[in-house]
Amino acid sequence: MNISTLTPSLFDDNALWNKLKDGDEKSFSMLFERYYADLVRYGNSLSPFEEKVQDCIQDVFTDIWIYRNSLQNSVVVKAYLLASVRKRIARLHERDHIFRKTASTDSIAFLLEFSVDHELLDDADDDAKEKIVHLNKLLNDLPTRQKEALYLRYHQGLSVEQIAEMLDVNYQSASNLLHRGLMSLRKDWKGTFSLFLLLSASSF
Amino acid sequence: MQKRNTYTQIEDFLSDESFQSWILLKIDQDGWEEWTLESLQRAKLVEDARLLLLAMKVPESDLSTSDVQKALQNTWIKIEEKENEILFSKNAGTKFFKNYFLTGIAASLFFCLISIWYYKNYIPADNIVTYKELIAENSEGLVEQTNNSDNPQIITLSDGSSVLLQPNSKLSYPKIFTGNERKVYLSGEGFFEISKNPKKPFFVYANEIVTKVVGTSFRVKAYSDQPDVEVLVRTGKVKVKSNDLVANSNQEEVILLPNQALRFFRSDLKFNKITNITQDKELVQNVGNIEQLSFEFSDIPVSQIFETIEQAYLVKIDYPVNKLKDCHLTTSLSDQPLPEKLKIVCKSISAETNFEMNGNQIIITSEGCN
Repeated sequence: MNISTLTPSLFDDNALWNKLKDGDEKSFSMLFERYYADLVRYGNSLSPFEEKVQDCIQDVFTDIWIYRNSLQNSVVVKAYLLASVRKRIARLHERDHIFRKTASTDSIAFLLEFSVDHELLDDADDDAKEKIVHLNKLLNDLPTRQKEALYLRYHQGLSVEQIAEMLDVNYQSASNLLHRGLMSLRKDWKGTFSLFLLLSASSF
Repeated sequence: MQKRNTYTQIEDFLSDESFQSWILLKIDQDGWEEWTLESLQRAKLVEDARLLLLAMKVPESDLSTSDVQKALQNTWIKIEEKENEILFSKNAGTKFFKNYFLTGIAASLFFCLISIWYYKNYIPADNIVTYKELIAENSEGLVEQTNNSDNPQIITLSDGSSVLLQPNSKLSYPKIFTGNERKVYLSGEGFFEISKNPKKPFFVYANEIVTKVVGTSFRVKAYSDQPDVEVLVRTGKVKVKSNDLVANSNQEEVILLPNQALRFFRSDLKFNKITNITQDKELVQNVGNIEQLSFEFSDIPVSQIFETIEQAYLVKIDYPVNKLKDCHLTTSLSDQPLPEKLKIVCKSISAETNFEMNGNQIIITSEGCN
C-alpha cells in the first residue's frame, strides 16, 4: 500500500509545498521523487498508454513549478496531485475524442484490476483463501467509479471530501460510491454474516 | 492508537495505515495481534477487514529510482521549454490567440472572406507583398531581429556578412545558411555588406522585390508603409527583380552598379533606375554614416581606424590603447563586411591579435604590432 507515508519523512508535504512556492527547486524535486511512482500507478489505471500518462504527470509538475506563485497555501499535496493528474488525463481523452462529443471527465474509466496477494496467503487456511479469491472477483465486478472511490480511499488514503472533489460529485454521492461498493460486496458475500450486520448498521 | 478502540466498521480498519502495514507488510508496530484477541466480536471484524484488504491488492509500481530521476530531469527540461514559450508568447502577444484558438480560427476565416471581397472590389491587382507573407513562404527556422531602438544595429550573419539595421526595421535570417542560396527577409531599411561567395548567391527579399548579389555592399529600404522600395549600391554588382509572389509581375531584371540606385513603385510595379544618385534628393538625404565614411586607409593610426568603424557600425570597440598607440596601417576595407574588416585589421597588426564580437561590443586582444 502506501509505504511512503508509513516511513516518517523529515520534511512534511506542506513544508515542502510552501518552500516550492517560494521557488525552492530542491523541495520541488523532493515532492516529485516522493509521489511520481505513485502517480504513475494511478495514472496507469486511468489510461492504458503508459508513455502518455508519464507525460501528463510531468506536465502537472511543470505547471506547478511555472505557476507556483498562484498556488494555494493550504492544500493536501497528495490529493491535489492525484486530482491534477486525473484532470490532465481526462483532458487528454477529451482531445482524442474531440469529434465524438464525449467531453466530460466521466468519460475516463478506472481500468485497474484488484489482485490477490498470494504470498501473504500462505499462512491462511483454505477457507479464507477461497473467500479472498471470491471477494476479489466481487471487487473487480464493481462499477468502475466505485472501484476508483475504493482505491482512492484505501490505497491513496484520501478522505471522502477529497474523493468527492476529485470525482466532481458532492460529499453524499462520494460517500454513497464508497458505501455502495462495499454494500454490493456484502450482498454476494454469503457466509460472512458479520460483515452484513456491521455494514447495514454503519452509516458512512 | 487509542483511536482503534472506537472502530466499529470494516472501513475504519481499511483506512488505518498501521493496520494496513500489519496485514500487508506484516509489521505489527502497535500490537494489533494482541489487541485483536481481546474480544471475539473485534476478532471477527478484523478478520473481515483482513480478507478484504488481501483481496484488494494493487500492483506495485515498477519504476526504479533511476526512472524517477530521468522523469525529473525530463520535467525540468519541459519547464525550461515552457518558460521560454511563455516569454516568447508574451513578447509576441500571441498568448491571446492561443487561449482562444478556435475563436481565432473562426475570426480569421471571417476576416479572410472579408479581405477577399475587399481585394476583389477595391484593389485592382494583388500586388502588395508583406514581410509576413515573405516569412511564411520560408519558415524553416528563421531568426528575427527587430531594431526598436533609436540607433542602427549591427547584425552579423553566419557567412560573415554584416547588416546594419536601421531603427524600426526587422530582418529575418537563418541561423546558419544551408543549401546553395543565402536568403534573408527585410522589412524597413538595412545596409548590407556581403561576404563574397560566388557559389552561394545572396538574396534579400523586401516587399515586392528581390535583390540578388554575390559579394558587395548595398542598401535596401523597404518599409511596409511607404509607397516605394529603394536599393542603392555602393560596391560590386547587384540584380533586382520583382518577387514571384506578385501577381502579373513582369519578370524584368535590373542590374545595378556602384553608386547606382533603383526605386520600385509599389502601386504600379515599375522599376525606376537612377544612374546619378547625387541628383536624387531623397537618396542623398538618407545616406547613413557608413556610406559616407571612407574605408581607404594609408598610414593611419589604428585608433583612428577603430574610431571609423565605431562610427560606421555604431559599435563599441575595446582595445589595448597603450599597446597599439604606435601602430599605423595602410589598408582598404571598403568592400568588406564588419567581421572581415576586423579580421583584416587584426591580422595586419600582428598574428597574435584577435577580436571577439558580442552584439555591438567588440573586444580586441593584442600585445602590440609587429
